[in-house]
Order: sequence, then structure tokens, then C-alpha cells
Amino acid sequence: MNASERTHTLRLAIAWAVLSVVGVVIAMQVNMPPGDQTQQASDESSLLRLMLILGTPVFVGVVLFVLYSSYAFRQAPGKLEDGPPRRGNLRMQWAWVIATAVIVFALAGIGINGLANSSAATTFASSGGSLGSQTVGTSSSDRLQVQVIAQQWYFTYRYPGYGGAESTHLVLPVNANVELHVTSTDVIHSFWAYQLGVKADANPGVDNITYVTTSKTGSFTVRCAELCGIWHGNMFDTQGQVVSQGDFATWVAALQSSQSDITLPPYAPEYFPSPRVKGS
Amino acid sequence: MSEMTSGATLLQPSERRMVLPTNILTGILLGVVGYWAGVQIGNGFGFNDSGNTGVLAGYALGSIMFLVGIGFATYPLARLFGWVTPSQPAYDEHQGVWRYLNLSYDHKVIGIQYLIAMLMAMLFGGIGAMFVRTNLLSPDTPIFPPDKYLTLVSMHSVLMVFVASAAIVGPFGNFFVPLMIGTNRMAFPRLEALSLWLVPPALVIMLLSPVFGGFQTGWTGYTPLSEQAGQGFDSYIVGFTLIAIALVVSGVNMLTTVISMRAPGMTWTRLPIFVWGVFSASILGTFAAPVLAAALSMQALDRTMNTTFFVSSNGGSPYLWENLFWIFGHPEVYIFILPAFGIVMELIPHFARKPLWGYRIAVVGLLGVTLLSWFVWQHHLFVSGIAPALRPFYMLSTEMISIPTGIVFLVAFGTLWRSRISMTVPMLFCLGFLYNFLIGGISGVFLSDVPSDITLHGSYFSMAHFHFTIVGGEIFAIVAAIYYWFPKMTGRMLNATAGKIHFWWMFISFNLAFTPLFAAGILDMPRRVSTYAPSLQGLNDWVTIWAYVLFSSMLFFAGIVIWGWFFNSKLAVADPWHARSIEWQLPTPLPRRNFARIPTFTRPPYDYGEGVPRPLIEPGAESAPALA
Amino acid sequence: MLVVVVAILLALVAVFLGRFVETFPYTMTSQVASQPRVAIAGSGEKETVIHVEVVGAVGAAIENPRPNDAHPTWVGYLPTTTFQVPANSVVTMVIDQEDTPSGLRNPLWSKAQGIIGGTFHMSYYDAQGNPQQGDFTKLDDPANAAHTFAIPDLGVFVPLEGLSAAAPANSFNQITFSFRVGKAGTYHWQCFVPCGSGTIYGNGGPMQTLGYMGGFLVVQ
Repeated sequence: MNASERTHTLRLAIAWAVLSVVGVVIAMQVNMPPGDQTQQASDESSLLRLMLILGTPVFVGVVLFVLYSSYAFRQAPGKLEDGPPRRGNLRMQWAWVIATAVIVFALAGIGINGLANSSAATTFASSGGSLGSQTVGTSSSDRLQVQVIAQQWYFTYRYPGYGGAESTHLVLPVNANVELHVTSTDVIHSFWAYQLGVKADANPGVDNITYVTTSKTGSFTVRCAELCGIWHGNMFDTQGQVVSQGDFATWVAALQSSQSDITLPPYAPEYFPSPRVKGS
Repeated sequence: MSEMTSGATLLQPSERRMVLPTNILTGILLGVVGYWAGVQIGNGFGFNDSGNTGVLAGYALGSIMFLVGIGFATYPLARLFGWVTPSQPAYDEHQGVWRYLNLSYDHKVIGIQYLIAMLMAMLFGGIGAMFVRTNLLSPDTPIFPPDKYLTLVSMHSVLMVFVASAAIVGPFGNFFVPLMIGTNRMAFPRLEALSLWLVPPALVIMLLSPVFGGFQTGWTGYTPLSEQAGQGFDSYIVGFTLIAIALVVSGVNMLTTVISMRAPGMTWTRLPIFVWGVFSASILGTFAAPVLAAALSMQALDRTMNTTFFVSSNGGSPYLWENLFWIFGHPEVYIFILPAFGIVMELIPHFARKPLWGYRIAVVGLLGVTLLSWFVWQHHLFVSGIAPALRPFYMLSTEMISIPTGIVFLVAFGTLWRSRISMTVPMLFCLGFLYNFLIGGISGVFLSDVPSDITLHGSYFSMAHFHFTIVGGEIFAIVAAIYYWFPKMTGRMLNATAGKIHFWWMFISFNLAFTPLFAAGILDMPRRVSTYAPSLQGLNDWVTIWAYVLFSSMLFFAGIVIWGWFFNSKLAVADPWHARSIEWQLPTPLPRRNFARIPTFTRPPYDYGEGVPRPLIEPGAESAPALA
Repeated sequence: MLVVVVAILLALVAVFLGRFVETFPYTMTSQVASQPRVAIAGSGEKETVIHVEVVGAVGAAIENPRPNDAHPTWVGYLPTTTFQVPANSVVTMVIDQEDTPSGLRNPLWSKAQGIIGGTFHMSYYDAQGNPQQGDFTKLDDPANAAHTFAIPDLGVFVPLEGLSAAAPANSFNQITFSFRVGKAGTYHWQCFVPCGSGTIYGNGGPMQTLGYMGGFLVVQ
């Protein structure tokens, strides 16, 4: 590497370091959504923040290099000279590949770790779908079961532990492990509870199970995130609530009694409406 | 023209002509007749299926008859019936503009025809996008009815997918790959022409969709929503099948040409990197597109014969469609971007006047992307309820694909380092590509991590990601290629000052329009909606205004191209960029026969910085004087 | 020459697209109530009325037939599906239901929700064909529902009883209910019975096209 090459490299390295530090400091101030209403949402927020922080030096580096090269290595006006005939440098190529691989595998590892913490799919012992009242707790064996039924074009929610009562708004108790069973009665929808950090596709004939552990009270918005027809954009509900456990017990009891005069079909993990018959 | 042979042969060939001359007008006429006939046949045989069989059969028969009318049946029928006919239509059978409207087996003519077809499709897709953005000006009051709005969204996306899958390989692959490898034609000129002529029927069929009520499923056509759609969805089935066939046909042709028709001395390690980009995309096209065609035929059966491949109540599964579609869909997006990588890595050495740095690792990167793209498709299904144990594997494979993709940046940087950059218009677009694809790539990493994907999937974040990679990446590369190769294809330069205005107009408006969409997605706006939270109205209105500006920049570009084609004066030199690749050493306009004698290549490409330029090919292989 | 042809083609396509997307059902403005409903009498709120019919085939309706419709055999709400009501008022819907029962997929919708007083007034024909009327909170049998009228954003869900087979010709059930609207905005309403017969899961056709089984409530 000759003197001018060293100059260029030094200039770029210093500029990159300075701008990256500035960029990372700014990135660290950003509070990434979706927030901390649930444990899953907190995990997702911190992962998004981490990726923003990691991405900043990469972004700064590339933009800096392109801008610097466009200025420092431009053709002298009126001339048509060639650059030096460099066709490669094995050490640099290996260094780059290894560096990118390290970043990639580190990110993948963090992601897999986060996934294992929040999904808990392998630690759940008993099967879902049983009736009978359930206690609400935070241990892994007490999970509030809620079924999310997607239909064109609204979500309804059933509580199998409370007689299969069905509600048009999702209400969850705070500090609870909730097991959501998402299914659909017609086409593919996707249940996206933004502040809860939950998204699960509602596939007809499939019981898609996902987990959420609530940590704070507050309201949340539910939207459909998979195109399901003309009212897909209108398939949202801003009145989801996470409430205290006492309030939840009161609410679900009121729900049950308000539905004592109608007969809902028995709770089932999937519903199979007949595909071509009008109604049914 | 046919000729009588002497009596030395056993059979006396007969002299026959087709009843109708085969040209585009016959093609259109037969296409319409075929459509009508197909509708009658389909409705006669179909079940009570809301008329889908008729429309599907009409489109299929119409497309086939169009191809017959254009002239694809002439040669097979001649061989079948023993007529004597030349294996290719005579070059001067059609003259002037009429030549470009009709069947030709000359790869250069096909390249130009393809370019026009792609630009037309892009224009219709762009008009659709403007309607879409207009509807999003208000958060709750739609300007268009929601079913029509979704049809516009779907048509915009399907037409743009058609463009993106063929817009580099079609025009530039067909035109320049034979030149770059030193041959006079491609391996299968008839297949090459077929891959082009499947595009107009596909385009017309897609544009006919609103006549039948449109379809509201987006370009992914998820079942069972697509099976609820009316006859408008049949356009999607047939149109996409035609494009899938075109992908296979073009891929087979391209692969065979590069593998078996390279001139002497053109070894694998001397191929211009653009050829490698087109080659790797063709591998994906050949093997991924048949999956789509199969899946579409299953949907067609569901819509006509009451099968239930995708209806879970009767034993089918919507997962089947999702998986089949994305097994095609993910390699498909690499079909979009690999030729774009090829263009950028091809142009930067010529405008930086330095050899491509890291040629071999660039090839490894392209082939690595090709291989890995088969193993990542389930990242579109992370939240679909797939077995949880699958998610870590696909997260890892998806993140790994950013390693070979990053190699493109490595190679670009190595080439730019200590070079002598001429800031021509194509170079500006290549640098713009690097910036846009950087953002697209980083956002892809955000999407590949499952916990973050839970918030980002199906939102405007993923929409911004693929617009940055496809529009900011591939479309910028296509525009760079047009500015670069226009002088070779037409003999005229495009106005450089106008080009620079165009670049800044397009680059700034594109980034201002699409960067806020990342925020929209993170802030709870799903895709394909016309209703959103009122707090996001300011953001959406900003995006819509800049989208209008972006569209106007593309209209400006169309003006530059049309002006350049018809009003700029012909070039005095054959090599305005002083580039040292083979296509620029040939005269402009290119003669019918590229090389009078097949050349022998003597050195690797990108011969910059070595002092006196060495000849690329052995002397004496220059082509014959241009034909009239 | 080529440029002119292409420009003409483009203009044709743009015009065609424009006409395709323009077909918004016309807006029906609610009428001021001639007399307020018993449930809200004396509260002093402004009340307006919207009167529609819902039919089994839009080409053959009793009050507002549309024989020239593109889909005369489709179910639909007539004469239009876009309603305009004043903000901060009470809206009374009077729906003449002429269609036969199809049955609810989700029996939750058999119970009326979000309406004033929780009850809707229905005049109907019973299984013997005798006219009856009364105030109800729900349908006796979810299988008797022909359609529903629901505005999910306002929490309004009202089932509409199907016309009995024994009812006389050219008759209909009339369902009346009221709900409150608040500030200005545009809300969508739809039917929750999958009544697009012949389409997968019954939600295609009229359910997926504006102007039949779904529309807008514009509050101004």
C-alpha cells in the first residue's frame, strides 16, 4: 500500500468511526415499537433497536465510501486515464466474507435465542381445547386460553375456559401467560395485535398457536395483516384491552351471562364450514 | 421463398404457402377468433362454475392462435407436411419499423422488441401505482371503491412482476450475450422469439382483467381468497402461466447458449460479469417457473372442476399454495436482482476505467445467491403457523444469503478504489443502485429475524423493503443499462444533461417517497389497505406527493428516450464510452451477421490500466460491412 | 407514427381504468325522522332515518329493482349502499328484508349488539304465514337469518330474519333499530352471512363487490 493509498484509507477510517459513533448514539435514543405491553413486544423492540444500532455503521460505511470515491477518485477533467490494473486481493476478500459472516451468524443467534424465549412451544405440556374454568397465573402450566376466530371481515374471540363465551373485543388480564389459538372460518387472515407484539396467520382448518405474556395494562389495536378481501383494510379493532386480573374476571363473567340466551356451537380448535353452500 | 431441389432426393417436395401471411395483424385476428372459440368450448364443457372455464379456455386458445398467427407454426407445420421452407424467415422479409412489429429470429431485433414491450408494461404498471397512491390520500374515505382499489393494487403488482422478471434478460441478455461470447445467434432462436412473443398476450390478458371484474388477491394470489374471486382472476392464472413459460423458454435458451456456444478463447473465467448475472438468473428461471405453472394449473382446476386442492374443508390446504408459490416466488426475486448485479458490476469497471476487482469472488457470490435462494422461501411464512422448529433454520438461511449479496458491494468498492471515475449518467445510476440496494438489503435483515418479523411481516415495512430492492435496485440498473447501451442498439446517444437531471429527479423522489414507508410499517400499517390509522395521514400524503414526482421523472425519461430515438443525430463513433468490451469494438449499427468469422478471444475482460490496450480478439474477425 | 399510436393506446387504457374505478354507488342521505322512535323520545337528539331493502336478487326487488344491473341474480341492499348521516345524532335504520333464510356461520351475530335499547323492532311472517310483530334482542334460531347489518367500527351488529316460506308473495319482514353516531368519519358496514352463493365459503360475488352486501356510512 503506497502513501496516497494509506492517506485515503486513514481518512475513510476516521470519518467512518466518527460518523458511526454519532449514528449509533442517535440510534440508541430511538424507542423502537411495539413497546413493552407484553414480554414478546419488549423482546421485539429490543431486537429492532439492536438491528438499527448494528445497521448504522454498515449504512454509514457504504454511503461514506461511495461519496468519498466519487470525489477523491474522479477522472481529471478532459482526460481519459486508466486506474491501476488491480484484479483482487485474496486477504481482503476473505476478511470481508468472514466479517459479514460473523455479523450474520451473531444476529441469527440472537434471533433464535429470542425466539426460544418467547415461543415456549416446546415446554408446554398439556394440550389445548379443554373446557372448564381455568385459573389465571404466570407459571408455565397455567395459561389463559383464548381462541381468535377470523372471519371475513372481523375478529371474534372465544374463551374456552369460560364456557366458550365469544366476544367482539379482546380483553386480557395483566401478568398472565396467554395461549392464543388463531383460526379462520373462511380465508387466510392474520391476527396482528400491535402493542402486544403478536402476529399469527389465521388459516382455515388450522389451529395456529402463539403465546403472549402480558406485563402492563393498556389498550391495543388489532389489525388484519393478510389480504382477505375488500374490507381487509377495515378489519381492525382499536378497543383491545389489557386489564387487571380482577377487572378481567368481572368482565368475563358479564360476557358469559350476556350470552346465556344464545347458543354458541361447542368450542373446537378448527371450524370447517361447508365451502360452497350459502350461509352454513 | 422455397426452392425446388433436383431429382437426387427420394421424395419430391411440394411448394406450399400458408393461407394467410403470418404477421402481427394475423396474430391479433387469430387471437380474437381463438378467444371466442375458446369461450364457446369452455362454457360448453365446463361445470356450473361461474363461467371460469370459458374465460380460461378462451385466453389459452387465444394466446395459442396469436402465436400461430405471428408465425410460430410455420416451421413445425412445414416439417410435418414436408413443405420446403427456410429454417428462419429471411432477414429482409420485413423492412423498417414493420420488422420490429413482427416475428424475427435475429437476437438483436428481439432485444429491441423486448425493450419496448417491457417499457409498455412498466408504464401500465406505473399508472396503476399512481391510482393506488391516490386512494391512500385519505385514511378512511376511499376515492375508489375497495374492490376496484384492490384490483388496481393487484394489477400494478402483477404487471411490475412481469417487467421485473424479464426486463434485463429479455432486452439486454438477448441483445448482448451473443455479442459478448462471440457468436452470431443464440442456441434456439425460435425459443428466444417465443419468450418474447408470450409477453404481449400476457400483457393484454392482464389488462383485460378489469373487464371481467378484476381480482382482489394481490400478486401472491393466496387461496382460498383467490377462489372467491370472479372471472377477473382467470387473467392472473393465464397471464402468469404465460410468463412462467417465457421464463423457462428464455432460461433454457440462455443456458444452452452460454454453455455451448462460447467462441474459442472465451473460457468461463473470461466471461463478462454481465453474462454471469444473466446466466445465474436463467438457472433460477428454468427451474423455479415450472413450479408456478403447476400451482396455477391446480388453482385453475379448483376454479373449474370443483377440485379442492386448496380448500381445507374438503381435505386440501391453503398451505399448499403458500408453499408452492413461494418456492417459485423466492427464486423469482433473485431472478429480478441477479441480472441487475450483473449490470452494475459490468458498468462500474468501464466507467471507473479499472478492471473488475475480485472477478472470481463476484462469480462465487452470484452462484452462491443462486444456490441459497432455494433454501429460504419459508421466511415468507414465518407467522403462518409453520412448525416452530423450522423457523430457526430458515432464519439462518435467509440471513446467510446476505453474505454473497454483500460480495457485490465488496467487488464494487474494490473496483472504485483508486480508480478514475467518469460521472456519466449510467455511472450515476449504478451508484444510486448501491445506495438503494444497501437500504433494501439492511431492511431485509430486519425482516429475516423472526421476532422482529412478527411486527414487520405483512406491513408497509416489507413493502418498502422490496420496493427499495426492486425499484431502487433493478429499475435503476435497467435505466443505467438503457443509457449505456442505447448508442449500441440504436446508434444515437441519449442527452447527457437531461440524463443527469433525470437521475437526480428520480433518485431524490424515490428515496423521499419510499423511506417513510418503513416508518409506516413499523407504526402499524398493514399492506394492501385503503384504510389506516388517521395519525399516519401526514406520512401517507407526503409519500403520495413524492410518488407523483417519481412517476413524472419516469415520464421525463420516456421523453428522453423517444427524443433520443427520433431526433438525436447518429453517432460518429461506434464506441462513445471508450469501453473495452467486445460489443463496443463492433460497428454501429450492428450488421445482420455479428462476426464475419467467429473470433478467438485472447484475454480476460476489463483490460484497463495495462498501458497499450491489447486486442480482445484475434485480428481478422471483424464483421462484414453493414447490410442495408 | 409509432409514438402517436402508443400515446392513443395509453390514453385509451387510462380512460378505461378511470371508468372502471369510478363506479361508486351513489350516496343516499338520511331523511329527518317524521316522528322519533319510542326508545329515544324526549332526549332531544337529532334523529334521521335510512330506509333500504335487502333482496335475494337485485333484478327482481319489490321497491327498487335494478333489472339492468351487471349481476341481476346477486343478493344486495337496494337502492344503494353508501349512506350519509349527520354527526352526533341518532340514526334509525328501517330495513325491508325480502330474502329467504341462509343461516349464520357465527351464531354470535344472532344477538343484536350496539343498538339503542338493545332491541330491534321487527314485523314479520311466522311459520304459518301470519303477520306478527314485536321487539326482539336476538333471533330465535340462527339458521333463520337471511342477512345481517353490521357496522363493526361502531359495534353495531343486527341480524335480519329471513322471510318465511309460508309468507304471501311480494311481502317482506321489516326490521327497525337505532344507533348513535359520534364524530365525523367514514365507516364501512357489511353483511356477516356468507350469502354469495356458489363462491368458496360464500364470501365471493356480492360479498366482495361494493354496492351489494357492503358499503359506507359517511358521517358528516
